[in-house]
Amino acid sequence: MTSPRISRRRLLKSAGVCLGIPLLEAMAVPSRSVLAMAPKAKLRMGFFYVPNGMHMADWTPSATGTKFELAGTLSQLKPFEKKISVLSGLTLDGARAHGDGGGDHARSGAAFLTGAHPRKTDGADIQNGVSVDQVAAQAIGEENRFASLELGLEGSAQSGNCDSGYSCAYSSNLSWRNSTSPLAKEMNPAALFDRLFGVRANSEPAANDTANLKRYKRSILDAVLEEANDLKKSLGQNDQRKLDEYMYSVREIENRLGKADPLGIADAENLKFPRPPGVPKELDEHCRLMLDMYTLALQTDSTRIISFMFANEGSNRAYSQVGISEGHHELSHHGKSDDKQQKIAKINRYHVSKLTYLLERLDSVNEGDSTLLDNCMLIYGSGISDGDRHNHDDLPILLCGKASGRIKDPQHWSFPKDTPLCNLYLWMLHQMGVKTDSFGDSNAVLKLS
Amino acid sequence: MNCYSRLPQSKVNRKNSDRCPYLVGTIHFRFISARPFSIFFLVGIVVLSPSLRGQVPGELNKSLTSRIQPLLTQYCGDCHSGSKAEAGLRLEEFDTPEKIMIARRTWLKIQQQIEAGIMPPLQAESLPNKERVELLQFISQATNSIDCVKDPNPGRVTVRRLNRFEYANTVKDLTGIDYPAATDFPGDDVGYGFDNIGDVLTLPPLLLEKYITAAEDISKAAIVMPPQPKEHRVEWPGSQLKIDKGGRSSGNAASLFSSGEAYVQEQIPWPGTYNLVVTASGDQAGDEPVKAAVVVDDKVIRKLTIPNKHGEPKDFEIPLRLKSGRRKISISFLNDFYQESGKGGKKEDRNLWIEHLSLSGSKPVVKLPEDQLPESHRKLITATPSDQLTVEQATLSVLQRMANRAFRRPVAKSELQRFINLAERVQKDGESFEASIQVVLQALLVSPQFLFRIEVDRAPEGTSKFAKLNDFELASRISYFLWSSMPDDELFKLASQKKLQDEAVLRVQVERMLKDRRANEFVENFVGQWLQLRKLDDFQPSKQIFPEFSDTIRNAMKRETFTFFASVMRNNESVLNLLDSDYTYLNADLAKFYGINGIEGDQFRRVSLAGNTRGGLLTQASVLAVTSNPTRTSPVKRGKFVLDNLLGTPPPAAPPGVPELKDKKELQGTLRQRMEQHRQDPACAACHQLMDPLGFALENFDAVGRWREQDEGVPIDAKGELPGGLQVDGVLSLRKLLRERYQDRFVRSLIEKTMTYALGRGLDYYDLCAVEKIESELKRNDYRFSTMIFEILRSDAFRKVGTRSL
Repeated sequence: MTSPRISRRRLLKSAGVCLGIPLLEAMAVPSRSVLAMAPKAKLRMGFFYVPNGMHMADWTPSATGTKFELAGTLSQLKPFEKKISVLSGLTLDGARAHGDGGGDHARSGAAFLTGAHPRKTDGADIQNGVSVDQVAAQAIGEENRFASLELGLEGSAQSGNCDSGYSCAYSSNLSWRNSTSPLAKEMNPAALFDRLFGVRANSEPAANDTANLKRYKRSILDAVLEEANDLKKSLGQNDQRKLDEYMYSVREIENRLGKADPLGIADAENLKFPRPPGVPKELDEHCRLMLDMYTLALQTDSTRIISFMFANEGSNRAYSQVGISEGHHELSHHGKSDDKQQKIAKINRYHVSKLTYLLERLDSVNEGDSTLLDNCMLIYGSGISDGDRHNHDDLPILLCGKASGRIKDPQHWSFPKDTPLCNLYLWMLHQMGVKTDSFGDSNAVLKLS
Repeated sequence: MNCYSRLPQSKVNRKNSDRCPYLVGTIHFRFISARPFSIFFLVGIVVLSPSLRGQVPGELNKSLTSRIQPLLTQYCGDCHSGSKAEAGLRLEEFDTPEKIMIARRTWLKIQQQIEAGIMPPLQAESLPNKERVELLQFISQATNSIDCVKDPNPGRVTVRRLNRFEYANTVKDLTGIDYPAATDFPGDDVGYGFDNIGDVLTLPPLLLEKYITAAEDISKAAIVMPPQPKEHRVEWPGSQLKIDKGGRSSGNAASLFSSGEAYVQEQIPWPGTYNLVVTASGDQAGDEPVKAAVVVDDKVIRKLTIPNKHGEPKDFEIPLRLKSGRRKISISFLNDFYQESGKGGKKEDRNLWIEHLSLSGSKPVVKLPEDQLPESHRKLITATPSDQLTVEQATLSVLQRMANRAFRRPVAKSELQRFINLAERVQKDGESFEASIQVVLQALLVSPQFLFRIEVDRAPEGTSKFAKLNDFELASRISYFLWSSMPDDELFKLASQKKLQDEAVLRVQVERMLKDRRANEFVENFVGQWLQLRKLDDFQPSKQIFPEFSDTIRNAMKRETFTFFASVMRNNESVLNLLDSDYTYLNADLAKFYGINGIEGDQFRRVSLAGNTRGGLLTQASVLAVTSNPTRTSPVKRGKFVLDNLLGTPPPAAPPGVPELKDKKELQGTLRQRMEQHRQDPACAACHQLMDPLGFALENFDAVGRWREQDEGVPIDAKGELPGGLQVDGVLSLRKLLRERYQDRFVRSLIEKTMTYALGRGLDYYDLCAVEKIESELKRNDYRFSTMIFEILRSDAFRKVGTRSL
């Protein structure tokens, strides 16, 4: 893409209301002529993680193949039944103990996108794998302003041990740039808006404005990069690793300076999207705004790869939104109590209602003859199957979207026992145009046709 | 064997009284990082006595040759020996304890595999339990032995990025700007229970982006830019002048032929002196030249004589002092003269021609008087260019000081050069001196030496194998430990005088710093994480069950614990008060919540708890709530909290992938009955036997920490039995137990937690020496709080740079 800014801008401006983020009035039938200007549909890769497993009895459809029914927990997704596949039987072997004892929650979070077996440590020598979104981002991210985005609704745990001798870095980060560098999540929808549209929280021009000093940004980054290079020589090995991480981040931002400008506030106005007010206290509202931003980032082609964590793995949040006052993690150890399992199912449905919202948003954005959702492969799921057993086989996994037509007939697939989840990721990487023979613990490319 | 127990070993350890496992308590559990728990927990927590440690190598050697090597050969040798050894592991090569120590990581892995029952594999000859325990004990000894006399390894922390609290505090102290960083930065990951662990603090692009934004905001707020000089300039060709009486426009000029005037009306933007240029000429006639007056708002300002002929216009400059607002500026013709036949019979006609007017003024640059500049500005811009000081000199002077403080050490001229270059570039572009400093401040705030606490590799001096930190590095370690911020001027001064290594000086500094307001950062950050009080913010007790709980109570709970801890710290009380005390700090709201009468007002004050069931951190509502579930108490969580955070002996997590027992029935009955059923399961019993009685003893406190006699109509049963038959019944008996039996474990655990926080790394086996030394000093000094801090600062672990664990 040689001039993404202009084409995107022009598109947004001319498309105006029709392509607007789907506020209801903006969902009007788009005009053909506008659609004709849409860029060639690009394939997007997205992830939506929920913790603590599912009540599987309510999750798994009874029939396999194309004639399955979205029932139970999944019934809300009916409007999208032609665009959703249920993938049963996938396994996350890296999350299993392998002699490391307890800590299934931390391992599940860390392994979900990496397929690796994270090293058990409270911090001294963190070791995981590279996550699938980052493999894709490193291969194709150059084309967009953000190689990838990592979003979530919860920051890292504030204190204490997250899970049985595992650092909280494991249970609170899905995306790993390399085996030692997790990528922190953005939680503030306003900050994300500012990054996409290039505005700042305090954007009123002050008398003391430094706007004209912004042109020194690159010189500043050059100076500190040079400093880091000099400094690195006087440091020990582990310290050098930290400096490398710093230098990577500086270069990443320098690269971004060379790319297209942020969209600009006018684009946000064209999209009819007001700047969110920060982090709302109310979970529903916070989630809605983050998912709006999720959509907006893909819609504007600011990135093609997003991971989103609803809550950190092992979260003990109480979902008063659906009348549940016990903690999620606490409930997930249901000891076969029917009451607790029903409550788990209720939380599962609540989470799926958020997915439904996201799919509605994505599906209301038109891209040529298809919708944004059609051009997505969006994985929804958890790294634990049943929260009481902490098992990592037969995971609850959905593949939403049609991967730009690469999935001909969405259906309920039931894969043989212990089929690696990474086989799915390998298939996804191939769709994204990444040439690789393996990913994580994959042993074949998942057959989805 | 000579060893002593921290737990009531005689009872707990009954079955194994002939055996005294060589263990180093907590340190053991945590260091074998993959196994926070050991089967030895069940046979009591046994701590190695210092006297034993000296004998270790000899004993180990003997035991290795006589017992262990034969065991290894018999049970493991088939696969793990010789040239075709599985995993390349040739156990016969480890014929001395030293070789095992060198390959420590390998042996920890071996230990894990044996403990988990993975090795020996099922198909091999099974390892009898007695031999299994013996083997595991030996590995534990061999991988944890350390000689405290011979220059033990002080350990090594990975370079620490400022966490968001440290960042905000440092920015405040460096620039004077309050930047609420914590709200927008991604959270810092936690390791070893704290968010200041070098290995765990990462710097992803998202965070750097936030740092860059923050640097712009902070430097903009900190340094006031001089107002830009402003110019106001208006031009009027003569044809555009308005004419009042006796004149007309003629071509490009205004021609006044009788006593008229030409004028303009102009909005004057600021009061001041403007320059009016009148381009005029005259038809000269009669015996005097053309005369005119410049009139502002009907007041004559200046009279002009215009001697030049029409066609030869001249500029007349008149300075005008003008008020702001709409002003009328006129040029009036004063000496009209007309004679049909004048001298020589010719017609004489004197006229004024105004070709052009211009008005210009520049706004005077008024620098804010020194005392009106914000404090941040005065703090940073310590010199400005003047007659005595060139721009280069001023730049150097300001940047030198700024960089020294940002990097928390003296910065060499050569290092400073890149920042001077940056400032000069900005100055060359015509920006102000202040702007150039603003740009450099931005750079400093995203510089690695600001964002990371750098400790440089250097060669050791003297007899030790390990290098000492220099004075500035030490000053930073101290200030970030106690204040979560950069050193202040006094610490910098002592560092530059090389006095910080002096113990008497250090002692004075510890006292000063703990009394300082900034030590509240230590209280909130350390205690907030040690006791997990930060999690209280997310605690959502059921509104139906606990309608009395509110955000006010939530905050009061935290305040109680912070104030209580701070009082132990500031009054230099015994740290044992934290475990059990006869006082706390309450305000009216919280006292009422506790059912204590007679406390009025919002102010927290010291309240005696004599005769009350409460006393010590464990009985404070903050701790009781944070260890509860939203609808009920959790004896398991509370028991685990005691073991994890007060005694430093974390129990294991539930076994991995708890096997689903096909015939397992749903648990029935009261919470206590369900827990008892749960304990029937041998896989669960081991840990729950320990956690549950500790938790049940606290059952008289509900999930938000209020006292209760009943739960859902059933009287509270707070009885329990610890392994070995030790009875606990209710909070008073638990407090007694903690005081009498677990005091040493608590003290040691507190030292370990504080050291972890102070060092920014997990403790390792070699830190045992330092921990024990601090513990004995603390004991000798009546457990005074400041002794603990002082001894930590004095330890090699705090002052020297060693190597990472093998």
